[in-house]
Amino acid sequence: MNGKILTANFRKQFPGGPEIVADDLRIGGGITVLFGASGSGKTTILRCLAGLEIPDEGEIKFGGESWFQKSGKRQAASGHIFAPPQKRRIGFVPQDYALFPHLSVVDNIGYGLKELPATERTLRVAETLHWLGLEDLEMRLPRELSGGQQQRVALARAVVRRPKLLLLDEPLAALDTPTRLRLRGELRQLLRQLGIPTILVTHDRFEALALGDEVVVLHAGRNVQQGAAPDVFSQPANLAVAEITAVETILSGHILATLNGLATVAVGATRLIALAKDLPPAARAVYVCIRAEDVILIRNDVIQSSPRNHLPATVRELGREGPLVRVTLDCGFSLIALLTQSACEELALQKGEQLFALLKTPQVHLISFAG
Amino acid sequence: MSGVEWQLVGFSLRMALTSLLLILPVGLALAWWLARKNWPGKALVETLVSLPLVLPPVVTGLLLLQLFGRRGLVGSWLHSTLDCDVVFTWRAVVIALAAMSLPLFVRAARTAFEEVDVKFEQLARTLGAGEWRVFFTITLPLAKRGVLAGTLLSFARALGEFGATIMVAGNIPGRTTTLPVAIYQAVENGEDAHAWTLAGVSAVIAFAAVFISEKLLRRKT
Amino acid sequence: MKRVFTSLFASAALLFAAQNEIRATTVTVFAAASLTDSLKQIAADYEKTSGDKIVFNFAASGTLARQIEAGAPADIFFSADETKADALEKKGLLVRGTRKSLLGNSLVIVTPTDAAAIHSPAEFTNAVVQHIALGEVKTVPCGTYAKAYLEKLSLWSAIENKVVPCESVRAVLAAVESGNVDVGFVYKTDAAISKKVQVAYEVPAADAPKISYPVALIKDAPQPDAAKKFIGYLDSDAATAVFKQFGFIVLTSPTTE
Repeated sequence: MNGKILTANFRKQFPGGPEIVADDLRIGGGITVLFGASGSGKTTILRCLAGLEIPDEGEIKFGGESWFQKSGKRQAASGHIFAPPQKRRIGFVPQDYALFPHLSVVDNIGYGLKELPATERTLRVAETLHWLGLEDLEMRLPRELSGGQQQRVALARAVVRRPKLLLLDEPLAALDTPTRLRLRGELRQLLRQLGIPTILVTHDRFEALALGDEVVVLHAGRNVQQGAAPDVFSQPANLAVAEITAVETILSGHILATLNGLATVAVGATRLIALAKDLPPAARAVYVCIRAEDVILIRNDVIQSSPRNHLPATVRELGREGPLVRVTLDCGFSLIALLTQSACEELALQKGEQLFALLKTPQVHLISFAG
Repeated sequence: MSGVEWQLVGFSLRMALTSLLLILPVGLALAWWLARKNWPGKALVETLVSLPLVLPPVVTGLLLLQLFGRRGLVGSWLHSTLDCDVVFTWRAVVIALAAMSLPLFVRAARTAFEEVDVKFEQLARTLGAGEWRVFFTITLPLAKRGVLAGTLLSFARALGEFGATIMVAGNIPGRTTTLPVAIYQAVENGEDAHAWTLAGVSAVIAFAAVFISEKLLRRKT
Repeated sequence: MKRVFTSLFASAALLFAAQNEIRATTVTVFAAASLTDSLKQIAADYEKTSGDKIVFNFAASGTLARQIEAGAPADIFFSADETKADALEKKGLLVRGTRKSLLGNSLVIVTPTDAAAIHSPAEFTNAVVQHIALGEVKTVPCGTYAKAYLEKLSLWSAIENKVVPCESVRAVLAAVESGNVDVGFVYKTDAAISKKVQVAYEVPAADAPKISYPVALIKDAPQPDAAKKFIGYLDSDAATAVFKQFGFIVLTSPTTE
C-alpha cells in the first residue's frame, strides 16, 4: 500500500469526441478505484493501462518498466515505446467478462498458463477453481453459467497467472442488483486475499467506497481528485467532484446490534439507527454515509415524527452555495445539511444555534468494509 | 463409368485438393488482413482479390500464362533456376484452380473473421498469447463455420474451373485434363454418352459441396 | 411510359427487319484454321467484284464438322482433310456433286526463334525437348497428319508423353511462338506467316501422309446459289494465285463424289 507502483501521464483524443487525459495519475498497491460517471473516461484509461488502446502521446510506467512512451513532438522518432498486452503481466476483466465461448471453464482459466508444464498448469487451475468455489463447473461452457459464476471464472482466468496488476472494468455492473450487492462483499474479500495491486472501474459510489482503498475521481475525461475513499467523498476538491460523489457526510462507525432489520450504529458517542439490509451477517466496522440533502433540521423536538434518528446538533458553519445553504453541524460528529435559503431564514439559523437533525433510517447508508 | 472416367474424376479431385494447399494459407492471411486491419490502398487489394470472380476466366488464364510461361516473370525464373515448367503441366492446373477459387474463399473467410468479436482476441493478448496463438486458438476456431463453408465453396469452384485452366494447362489427357475440360473435349469429339456421364459426376459433386456449405453458413450458434 | 416502350419496340423490330435486308447475300464459310489469311484475302477480292458478302468461321476441321452436324447455318465447308468431309457426306450433310479437293500442303516442324535448333524428328526423344505441340488428333487434321507421320517413323510411343494437344493448327503456332513448347507441327503455310517461329525441318512429301483440302456445299445451306458461285471462284486463276502466294499446293484435277 505504500509507494506508487504505476504512474501515467497521457492523453487520447477521440475523433469528433472527448479527449481523455490521465493527469499525473499515480497508483499504489492495494485496490484503487477509478470512479466517475459514464463517459468520464474511466474505461478508456483502464484499457490504455492494459495496452488494449494506445494513447496519442504521453507515458505509462509500471514498476521499473516503461509500458508506453510517445512524445507529442513530431520529430522525436526515438523513444517511442509500446509494450503490448502480452508483455505487461496484467490480469484484465472486461465488463462483459469476454469468456471464450468455445472453451470450457477449465480451458478458459488455463488459457494463460501455456508456458507452464502440464502438471503445474492443472494444479494451478484446480487451486484457483477451488478458491473461487467453481469445482463443479469445470467442463461447463460459458453460456451454461450464471452471471455470478461467469464473473468468478473471468476473475479466475485473470488471476491464475499471478499477474502484477489486476484491471477490472465495472466488475459488478453486469449482474442483477441483489447479486451485485451480495457479491460486492465477496469481491472485496477475494481481492484482499489475492493481494495483487488492483485498479477497478465503477460508476457506483457505494461500490467505490466498499471496494477501494484509494479512489481516483474522473470528471469529463480527466482525473480530478485522488485519495483515500472516505476523504475523497467527504471532501470533494471542487463542485464537480462533489456532484459526482454526491455524499457529503461519511463517517466511520461500528455496529452495536442488529434487530428486526435495523442496525444500531455507534459513531463516536452518538447512536444512529440504520437499515441492516445488504450487510454481511458478521459486519462490524462500517462507513456511515449521509447525504446532505437528506438531513432535516427542526427547532423543537417535541413533535412525534417518523424518523428514528433525532440528533441534537449545533450549527458550526453556514455557507451559501447558490440558492442553497450548506450547514455544517456538530452532532458529536460532523454532519452536513443542505437547506434552501428561505428555510435558513425561517429557522433563523446562526452559528452556535442548537437544534435537532432528523434522519430516516434508510437515509443512513451503511457500507461495510472488512478492514 | 469406365476406368478412364474414374481416373479423370480422381485426377480432378486431387488437383482441387492440391489447390486448397495454396488457397488456405494465402486465403486465411488475406482474409485476416482484410478483416482486421486498415491501410491506405486496402480498397485496391479488395478489388484485386475479387477480380477473378468477375473477369472472364480466360482473361485470368491469359494473365497466368503471361506470368508463368517460360518467358514470363515467374516462369522464366522457374525454368532457368529450377528447370521447372509450369505451363502445360499439372502445376498450371493447380495454379489456375487456386487463382479462380481464392476470391470465394477469401470472401467467406473474411466475413467469418469479421463476425468474431475482437474483444476475445484482445483478452487473449492480456493473457500472454502472441498473435499467432491468438489466431489459431481464438479467431480461427470461432470462425470455423464460415471458413469451412468457404473451403467447400472454393473446392467446388476449383472442380468446375475451365476457362483459365484450358488456357494455361491445356488439355493433355492423363496429365492436365480435368473434368470440365474432358467434358468439353468429349462434346467436341461427338462422344455424347461420355460427356453426359462426366457432367453427371460433376453436377453431383458440386451439388453436395454447395449444399453442405449453405448449411454451414446458415446456422449460427 | 407506354409511349416509350412502344417506340422502343417498334425501332427494335425495324432494326431486326433491316438486318435481314442487309444479310440478303451473305455467304457463310466454315473453313480450316490454316486457311485463315489466304481465304480472307480471296474473300476481300471477291466481295469487290461480286457484291456478295463472305463471312468466315475458322476453326479445327473437326470442330467445324461437329458444328455442322449440330445444325449450324453454314453454306460452305472447307476442310483440311478428307476424312472430316467423308464423315459429313456419310450423314448426307453435303450436297452431292459439289465436293472438290482444291489444295495440298506440307507439314513442317517449327521451333521458337530463340530456341536451340532441331534438325530432325529423331531429336524429339532428347531431354531438351520437353513439350511437343500437336493439333488434337481427333479434331485437328494437322494433328492427325503429324501423328501418322510420327507413327510411321516409329517415334510416336517414345514421345507420346511429351505431346501437348492444341485445339487448332493456329493454336499450335501460338504455343510455339510463346516459347512454352519446344517444338510444334504446323503447315508450311502457317509457318510462313509467323515471324516468331523458325522452320526446323520440312517433312518430305514422300514421308508425309497425303494432305488434301476438300471444299463442298452444305445441304440446306441458307444461300446455295451465292455459295456455289463462291466455290467456283475458289477455282479461278485469281484465287489460285493467292493460294500459291501463301504457299499452298494447288491440286490440278478436282475430285468429285
